[in-house]
Amino acid sequence: MSTIALAAPATTRRRVFDNSGYIVLAPSCLVLTCFFALPMGVMIGMSFTSGQSLAPTLFQYQRFFTDGLSLAGLVRTAVMSLLVAISVTVLGYPVAYFLARSRSRWRAVVFALALAPELAGVVLRTYGWLIILEDRGFINDALIHLGLVASPLPLSKNLFAVVVGLTHVVLPFGILSLTTSIQGIDPSLERAAQMLGASRLSVMRHIVLPLSVPGIVSSLLIAFTMAASAYATPALLGGARFKVLATMIYEQVLFYIDWPFAAVLAIALLLMMLAISCLGLSYETCRNQRRSTGTGELV
Amino acid sequence: MTKLLPCLFWLAIGLVLAFIVLPIAVVLAASLSPASTVTFWPSEWTFKWYGALVTDKWISPFWLSVRVALAVAAISGVLGILAAYALVYQKIPGASAIMGAILSPLSVPQIVKGVAIVLFLSIVGLQNLLGTPALIAAHVVLALPFVTRMAATALANFDSSLDRAAQSLGATQRQRLQHIVLPMIKPGVLSGMTFAFIISFNNIPLSVFLVRPGDTTLPIAVINHLEYSLDPVMAAVNVTSMVFILMVIFLFERIGGFSAQLHGGSK
Repeated sequence: MSTIALAAPATTRRRVFDNSGYIVLAPSCLVLTCFFALPMGVMIGMSFTSGQSLAPTLFQYQRFFTDGLSLAGLVRTAVMSLLVAISVTVLGYPVAYFLARSRSRWRAVVFALALAPELAGVVLRTYGWLIILEDRGFINDALIHLGLVASPLPLSKNLFAVVVGLTHVVLPFGILSLTTSIQGIDPSLERAAQMLGASRLSVMRHIVLPLSVPGIVSSLLIAFTMAASAYATPALLGGARFKVLATMIYEQVLFYIDWPFAAVLAIALLLMMLAISCLGLSYETCRNQRRSTGTGELV
Repeated sequence: MTKLLPCLFWLAIGLVLAFIVLPIAVVLAASLSPASTVTFWPSEWTFKWYGALVTDKWISPFWLSVRVALAVAAISGVLGILAAYALVYQKIPGASAIMGAILSPLSVPQIVKGVAIVLFLSIVGLQNLLGTPALIAAHVVLALPFVTRMAATALANFDSSLDRAAQSLGATQRQRLQHIVLPMIKPGVLSGMTFAFIISFNNIPLSVFLVRPGDTTLPIAVINHLEYSLDPVMAAVNVTSMVFILMVIFLFERIGGFSAQLHGGSK
């Protein structure tokens, strides 16, 4: 298929210069159809088959709701993503506030340190956490050396390890979205409150935090969706003991070769993500409505 | 209290930055430590783990990743320019709907796209596309939204009076494209292509379904190995691939990427 995609632009080169822009779009549309639209359609169709025949059935969905494991996986994915979303936002907020407001020369350093890990790739960072958290890793090594614990603490292959690893992976994105939002707050509001005698703490609590709620919401949403769809970090740090939807899908396809059920799990993950995005969208519309009807009060 | 608060604030930032840097520092230290079990601060330093990388086990996945990523950058660059040209420059009817279609893969988790592609190829009997062709096509779907959007932004930002001036001075459409439009959007397209390269080179959730057993991309080879061994060779692999990515960014930057875009792209 890719050979067609490769060849198509060359053959249409001559036509680029006339006004029919649709021909120019043909190669993109071809790739999108063959490697996105059709596969998605086939996958959804397949979720309604039993695996033995092509007759439509809800058997796989019934399995999803009754086998216990799948629903537990869904809940585990949601809990993990929620914890990641909260810790990304809480850890990211002070850094984002600093990046949005500081004029010191440390700003560039903090910015680079906060975002550069993104270039290191997910595997390197997850590997770093693996050797920190494993049974004979640094933390357990140090604790045992100091005599604080007798046997290694269970720090890896569980929810804790996956949340730590994913928080690290997603944090730069949370920091970016929070920084943009805090930058949008007029700094003169903070100065005015301070001049009128408000302490730093109450400026933070009554002005900065409430006004940055949109940024907090978008950071929560980004972190949740990125965590829910992550594969490598849960696979390595969670292992066989902590399975989320993404790793369960992989297992169904490559170990059990149960494609219709893999399709159902994939659709469950997709629907969870769409539900979260809709939540964010409805928050947006809600806020815009309030803003358009309530401008009088603000002025 | 007034002194305490800024201190707490700095402490918080320091701790978060330490959290961010920690695993990367640990991997760097591990890759240079002579012990075969990973220790945090090695007493002596060695490059032997980097030497251990020069085997077919790591070289051939690396080349597969490089080949796929280069193809993805090239194809998505060409497709992105063409799409942006039709949607922004020619403003064909239905442009926003088509842009929506091109961006739509973004809203589907990669792992779901990966399953969908592998199921589809198996159902229609095209399993033999698995491996390089499927990897390239799937990564192009992934990269196309970014490249198209960057090319479209570059096209939308550029001053169309230059183009009109050229036209009124008698330049043919081909000359205008070659000497005005393409050079103006080059920085945007190059950053998009860099991004496409990195997305493809580092990709796991799609590649994990599409590689052939025994002929995998570098990240997949690494996670397969990590499932049963944490030896320092893995640290060396990871550091090498990070350095490689930094070199690629530097190279694209020299050809005229990001900073050119910041300084001259919006004239």
